[in-house]
Amino acid sequence: MNRTDALSQYLDLADENDALLNKDLRRTLWHIHNFGEAALGKIIANGWTPAQTTPPMCYPEALFGEDYGVNLARVPMPADVAASFRCGVPKLSSLLAIVANDAFTPTDALSANCPEGLTVTSLRSLEGELWRDAEEMMMDRADSPSPGAAINSLLLQDGVYIRTEAGTEVEKAVQVVNLFNSPVPLLTPRRVLVHAMPGSKVRVLLCDHSQTPSVAHCNIEVVDVWVEEDASVEIYDIEESSANTRRSWHLNVVQCAGSSLSVDTFFLAGGASQNNITVALAGPRAHTRLGGLAITSGSQQVDTQVQLYHRAPHCDSRQLFKSALFDTSRGGFGGCIVVDNGAVGTDAAQSNRNMLADPGTHMATAPQLEIYCDDVKCSHGATTGQLDERALFYMQTRGIPAEEARRMLTQAFMADVVDNISFEVLRQRMHVLVEKRLSGASASCDTCATACHGDTNPETVAE
Amino acid sequence: MDELLKVSGLRAGIEGKEILRGIDLTIKPGEVHAIMGPNGSGKSTLSGVLAGDPRFTVTGGTAMFHGVDLLSLSPEDRSHEGLFLSFQYPVEIPGVTMVNFMRAAVNAKRKYLNEEPLSAGDFLKLMRQKRAIVELDNKLASRSVNEGFSGGEKKRNEIFQMAVLEPRLSILDETDSGLDIDALRIVAGGVNKLKTENNATIVITHYQRLLDYIKPDFVHILYKGRIVYSGGPELALELEEKGYDWIKEQVDQQQNESL
Amino acid sequence: MNDDIEKNNAQKKSSEDNDTLSRATSGEYKYGFTSDIDTEIIPAGLSEDVIRLISQKKGEPEWLLDFRLKAFRHWQTLTPPTWAHLKIPEIDFQSISYYAAPKAKDRPKRLDEVDPALLDTFNRLGIPIEEQKALSGMAVDAVLDSVSVKTTHRERLAELGIIFCSFSEAVKEYPDLVRKYLGKVVGYRDNFYAALNSAVFSDGSFVYIPKGVRCPMELSTYFRINASGTGQFERTLIVADDDAYVSYLEGCTAPMRDENQLHAAIVEIIVEERAEVKYSTVQNWYAGDAQGRGGVYNFVTKRGLCRGDHSKLSWTQVETGSAITWKYPSCILAGDGAVGEFYSVAVTNNYQQADTGTKMVHIGSNTRSTIVSKGISAGHSENSYRGLVKVDKKAEGVRNYTQCDSLLLSDSCGAHTFPVIDVANASAVVEHEATTSKISEQQIFYCNQRGIPTEEAVALIVNGYAKEVMNKLPMEFAVEAQKLLAITLEGSVG
Repeated sequence: MNRTDALSQYLDLADENDALLNKDLRRTLWHIHNFGEAALGKIIANGWTPAQTTPPMCYPEALFGEDYGVNLARVPMPADVAASFRCGVPKLSSLLAIVANDAFTPTDALSANCPEGLTVTSLRSLEGELWRDAEEMMMDRADSPSPGAAINSLLLQDGVYIRTEAGTEVEKAVQVVNLFNSPVPLLTPRRVLVHAMPGSKVRVLLCDHSQTPSVAHCNIEVVDVWVEEDASVEIYDIEESSANTRRSWHLNVVQCAGSSLSVDTFFLAGGASQNNITVALAGPRAHTRLGGLAITSGSQQVDTQVQLYHRAPHCDSRQLFKSALFDTSRGGFGGCIVVDNGAVGTDAAQSNRNMLADPGTHMATAPQLEIYCDDVKCSHGATTGQLDERALFYMQTRGIPAEEARRMLTQAFMADVVDNISFEVLRQRMHVLVEKRLSGASASCDTCATACHGDTNPETVAE
Repeated sequence: MDELLKVSGLRAGIEGKEILRGIDLTIKPGEVHAIMGPNGSGKSTLSGVLAGDPRFTVTGGTAMFHGVDLLSLSPEDRSHEGLFLSFQYPVEIPGVTMVNFMRAAVNAKRKYLNEEPLSAGDFLKLMRQKRAIVELDNKLASRSVNEGFSGGEKKRNEIFQMAVLEPRLSILDETDSGLDIDALRIVAGGVNKLKTENNATIVITHYQRLLDYIKPDFVHILYKGRIVYSGGPELALELEEKGYDWIKEQVDQQQNESL
Repeated sequence: MNDDIEKNNAQKKSSEDNDTLSRATSGEYKYGFTSDIDTEIIPAGLSEDVIRLISQKKGEPEWLLDFRLKAFRHWQTLTPPTWAHLKIPEIDFQSISYYAAPKAKDRPKRLDEVDPALLDTFNRLGIPIEEQKALSGMAVDAVLDSVSVKTTHRERLAELGIIFCSFSEAVKEYPDLVRKYLGKVVGYRDNFYAALNSAVFSDGSFVYIPKGVRCPMELSTYFRINASGTGQFERTLIVADDDAYVSYLEGCTAPMRDENQLHAAIVEIIVEERAEVKYSTVQNWYAGDAQGRGGVYNFVTKRGLCRGDHSKLSWTQVETGSAITWKYPSCILAGDGAVGEFYSVAVTNNYQQADTGTKMVHIGSNTRSTIVSKGISAGHSENSYRGLVKVDKKAEGVRNYTQCDSLLLSDSCGAHTFPVIDVANASAVVEHEATTSKISEQQIFYCNQRGIPTEEAVALIVNGYAKEVMNKLPMEFAVEAQKLLAITLEGSVG
């Protein structure tokens, strides 16, 4: 399918099923659909060029060009899926919300343990004040110009709304598990809203799992985050799906004065994954830390495009993105730091490091700086190379077999990204998952009862 | 007694440039051999070639290690067979802790010898015991391999690894370079403690200084890729006194005559 | 309350800074004079007829006219590129005259036959041809507006088999060589401005260094736009045959004019086995006035093909002039073991805009490249580095190192970095580092305390910052380039 056809099929679908799409929906979701329709129409009319570094499987026609179904009729998912889920991060007693395909499914644990000042609920179920809040957040970037976000807006039916009231510090992590389970190729648009009111703190864990790995799945997720004054938000995104999964991920964050944001993304398994992270430091003295790790093998392709806007004075940002590529996998990274005039005292640093393990791998990277202010300290660095040959030899002379030495060095190469995770339980778990992934074993959360790490997932099996 | 190492006519080079031009060397258990020579004579090439450094290409000759064809083995199997190289410049490996590094090394060797892996408790006990030999701070264990170590710490760390791996033959490549007198004493003391009648040591050095602490049985002078002189410990003293120039002159003259 | 006071103080300080700034920026463009030379200009506008006229005036062979016409027809299908970080006002390509030549019946044979006013022009530029010829041992080809005026030292070079002449002469005297290489590195389809140049180019330089010859002196070309309302479209072609070596210098100036002038040049370089070419540029086209009026639009395509194994091409540029600069001197590293280098200092002040950088395309195995770019932005200017490092799937053992730094001298300028690194071979090691920072107030204060005025301190610090690149310039140029840096930045910091 060419790019135009791949995108316009969703316009046609929405057109033909207008009644179904807007059934039982509030006016605002219609608005979002209209925004999405307009945005997608504009993209089709004007054409759309992916970033220069984006690998081909992450182009819109490759992500969206299958003949996917969309669950517009809201056919319910089997309920026992949610009941049987148990997360494999030991000691992580999280507040669990399951999103089965694109339908929010609350768990008993969530309703029983949800502390005061925290709301975790379905987008569709919102009422009154909270609904207006969600509305405002969604409208904020509804005309976002990228194809994935436009399709998401066009077909949006449900999602998760997370809110912490002023001063609330939520101890447990809110874990949103996205389960894919379908007998037929399916596209699921999903929206996650996180609103941290002034002085509040929240940690959100987003996990992608595929329960029917042999079925094609396109997962379009838009995560909108507002971090109010002096609030703190941590987002962890763990992608651990199937080779037949196409992902289009959009994280949009607005940070107010004195706020903190920390984002860590992990690609452990999947097919093609195109990720967009946009952060606006809108208030002074805010802090941002972005981290990313991708281990790709087989024919996997992962693309990460980061836009970081320093709009206010005295903010700092740190970015560290690493990938290890095996077999014939490909990677793309684009990272633009924009410093507005007036954002004095900005301190921004970005680092992108890539390790090519096998002859068929391919990595394209574009770290960019756009600076309109003189009182700044900005830097970026990018390297693409191999493991240190001297270290490899040194380890061999100590009797460590070449293959094991290579694995240890690759793990060491990834270690600092994992070490940056401030959520300790997860940090320990990620070290283990990375080690398992590199030693060729399934990197799945193997104690997870959903069996989404089923033995039929070819991408997580040893090369 | 049996030969531990027998090197015959060994030739090797780097990027097409020949550096070793026929080395002959025989070492028996219990012996300490010193290899000395001016800069660029091929000392580090010899240690690298014996340990299997992939930068060098062997172009001729053989090296038998207690009956095993050394040159046909991978670097890790040479290590398992009992060859240890103390690097002139120990490599820094960020992100790999000393503990993980040594556990991987110890257990790889045990696997090679068809032994069960060491339990965590036994392993830590072994580490503690061996660290004492070179007075190595136990804080270093949690740090990345050689990263941020001082020059002295790096060399002590090499001898510590040697103690753990208990090699049949240790090659100490310029172990004295960059060491102050105290560190030198500790390092040499460690080497002497590890000496038995069953193992042997090759000390590669530019100066006599280290040989005051590690007494060699034989001294060889390497020049232009060949061992041009062999003798007892007195040869090292003679070199210290007279420098290398007389050797160079003599050898160069012989070469000219033979042309 | 306290905040307000602090803010007021800060404002006060910054307005003081601006005073110093404007005092010192009053340094005028020192090369802004026009030469009173009789010039022959053809009417403005571009059509096939104009191209035929240019070709006819130059007495060109049929194949060259064909080349021009093909390029022109292709150009008509193109629109100017918009991807650069530049605001380019719409250019009316029909209002430009595409040919201006100093009127002279025949080309002068000796220096004293050259129009004295023209010689004076060069002398005022600090390019004393006479002196050069006699003393410095530098061979100079001077291109005024569109036509090559004088090439010195030709006889001496000819003894070694080196060809160094104007492009038009080369077309007449070495048609086979020109035909063999013309458009082989930068095809007329390459981009909008390359197509335009290929259609209308008027003159330029041609250099051929035969096998095994090391050119004993620096070859140099000075370009100058003189006539108003004209564009300059020169074309340089350098061929270094096996084991040859040449160092080539290029200098540019233009007079002050209210309107913008277009300069769209092409430089093509072919480097054969084990040959080496060093290409150095000091670009000082008129940059426009402090309000951003006038100045040259410098849209240049420069590219070298390192075709032979172990060939080497090194670009060094000091860019201080032009209202808008759009240029990316590049290396196609096709031969095994070929080496590409790019050393650049780009200074922008007032309303200047520069989008410059390089492309290193690694096709051959064990090819190496180094990129060092130093951007300095002052006033309201915009300064961008744009680069591509590409490693082909089949290129084994490639190495690249890129260092690109930006220095900001005012709070209303922009400094940007847009590198793309595309690695399709797993044996490559590619490193890119970039930093952006403000000029250190501590350093300026330290200089001040030692009695060095701010203006001088800035020049000192900036020259130090750019030193790594300046050191790559041949001696004769380095001095001039250092002066230019100082002049361009006069008073840009308070």
